[in-house]
Amino acid sequence: MLKKLSILLTTAILLSACLPSPPDRSASKTITVYGFSIMKEALEKDIYPAFKAKWKSEHNEDIEFVSSFAGSETVTNQILQGAPADIAILSIERDADRLVQGNAANANWHSLPANGIVNKTPFIILVRAGNPKGIHDFADLGKPGIKIIHPDPASSGGAQWSILAIYGSQLKKSEAESGNKDTVRATNTLKAIWKNVISSPGSAREARTQFELGQGDALITYELEGLMMKQAGAQIEMIVPPATILSEHPAVLIDRNVTDAKRPVVEAFLNYLWSDEAQQAFVKNHFRSATNDSFNDANKEFAQIQQPFTAEYFGGWGKAYPEIIDAIFLKQVQAK
Amino acid sequence: MSNIRHVRGFDLAKPLSIGVMIAIMLPLVLLPLASIFIFGTSNGLDNFWKALMAPEAIFALKLSIVTSFWATVFNVIFGLFAAYVLSKYNFWGRNAIIVTISLPTAIPTAVAGFALLLLWGPYGLLGRLIEPHGVHIMFTAWAIILANIFVTFPLAFGVIKPVFDTMNQSLEEASATMGATRWQTFWHVTLPGLRGAIVTGALLTFARAIGEFGSTILVSGNLASRTQTAPLYIFAKFNEGQVEAANAIAIVLALFSFVIFSILFFARDWLEVD
Repeated sequence: MLKKLSILLTTAILLSACLPSPPDRSASKTITVYGFSIMKEALEKDIYPAFKAKWKSEHNEDIEFVSSFAGSETVTNQILQGAPADIAILSIERDADRLVQGNAANANWHSLPANGIVNKTPFIILVRAGNPKGIHDFADLGKPGIKIIHPDPASSGGAQWSILAIYGSQLKKSEAESGNKDTVRATNTLKAIWKNVISSPGSAREARTQFELGQGDALITYELEGLMMKQAGAQIEMIVPPATILSEHPAVLIDRNVTDAKRPVVEAFLNYLWSDEAQQAFVKNHFRSATNDSFNDANKEFAQIQQPFTAEYFGGWGKAYPEIIDAIFLKQVQAK
Repeated sequence: MSNIRHVRGFDLAKPLSIGVMIAIMLPLVLLPLASIFIFGTSNGLDNFWKALMAPEAIFALKLSIVTSFWATVFNVIFGLFAAYVLSKYNFWGRNAIIVTISLPTAIPTAVAGFALLLLWGPYGLLGRLIEPHGVHIMFTAWAIILANIFVTFPLAFGVIKPVFDTMNQSLEEASATMGATRWQTFWHVTLPGLRGAIVTGALLTFARAIGEFGSTILVSGNLASRTQTAPLYIFAKFNEGQVEAANAIAIVLALFSFVIFSILFFARDWLEVD
């Protein structure tokens, strides 16, 4: 009886003792990167290996990369709560600013090359092959009977870009028609589209997975996601709206977490993101370069956008978040 | 088990009731489980094996097992101790403690996660005090163990306590009158009567901890090959659109719980027979 019990317990303990314990995370030459959901492939396939090789040849030293990917707002909240990131690559400037306000990141991230923006990509609409619902622009998504997958702006930066894309496209259109920015029309379009949303996942990548598994008629997302799906042979079509936003993604150093011993290599990696080599790697992975438009022109898969705009069109993120995401989307569209 | 027949001849009730039972289970439990297996192996066993042998996947499984193991060790020992104290002694506040131990059952696991963050995080009540000394608990394996302990807290206690309550007190009294110390009585008389409950409590705790998700995603940091447990790996792979990779580990976890509950079922008999 007790013997049997002790046999059971000893076996369990022996079994467990054989297992390795998780490695220490504070190893000096490890760079920990927290990224928003769609950064994964470009970093892991090309940027990390290239920088590792470069550092090895210049300093004869091995470095290791560890990373975690989730919605931009989620990543930001994790870092604010103490997640051990050295570098954060975010979807939206608002999150970089939140890290600064939370004393996690350096306030001068804008002084990095290209204003601190590592890459960009326009927002487009993905529909099923053959475009059975006849969707050609954002406004078509508000028609009755269309089922939309749209990430949740509370956790996803991509969701916030999408809202700005819809809203801004209507302002552009009304400006062209009457010379005035019709904010009522833009708000109503947002309301009509949000009524058709059947699921709001935590990140752009999560939204794409749901769409890939057959849910919904349309998905508003980064051009990069559509190009990746096309490359993988997905039965989808990419609809490029006449006017849409270019999302711009900042990279910031998490000052609070970077030890003096590690700082040189972390800073070297951060700066490397703006090197021609890294920018071309981003383009290869369907992002648009933030530093050199000739890299983008070389990539024939990128869509031509008639009227592109950026967050600047709304006066920058400092205005876009409180005036559109918060005052219009959260308070009027989502809350009803 | 009685075999009395209520009707003469062929008893229709037996096959019918078994059939109904399985028919109800089919869409609710059996088919969802089956779909994991069918999908996971639909691209061939080679791909399944490759997904399973990915270093990140193996690490995630190991991390889950280690953290669940230590949470189980703690909760079984504590559950045994608490059950002993609470069934032996009557004191003011006893019922309040019994209720408190059971609370984690009904608390959403995400709440467990951020409760731990609010306590041990860099701005937490205690985290604020230890952080300057370079002690980090959140976003390490310790955080995962703490989260597992919290969510599985009532399980071992809940199994052990009722056995304690119904235990024959006269045996312990006899042992005491024969001159045994408290410890001897506990080791030779009380504990053997609890072995079934201890094994059941341990396996239930372990099984629950290994599947824990809601609290872990908040406190672990979710770093691949560092602080990513098997359920977090499944979630991450699913979100990345790598459904096959997610499925491979899901199959392992499903088989794992199958093994655990089979042990539970058979170990009870094995332990009872002396």
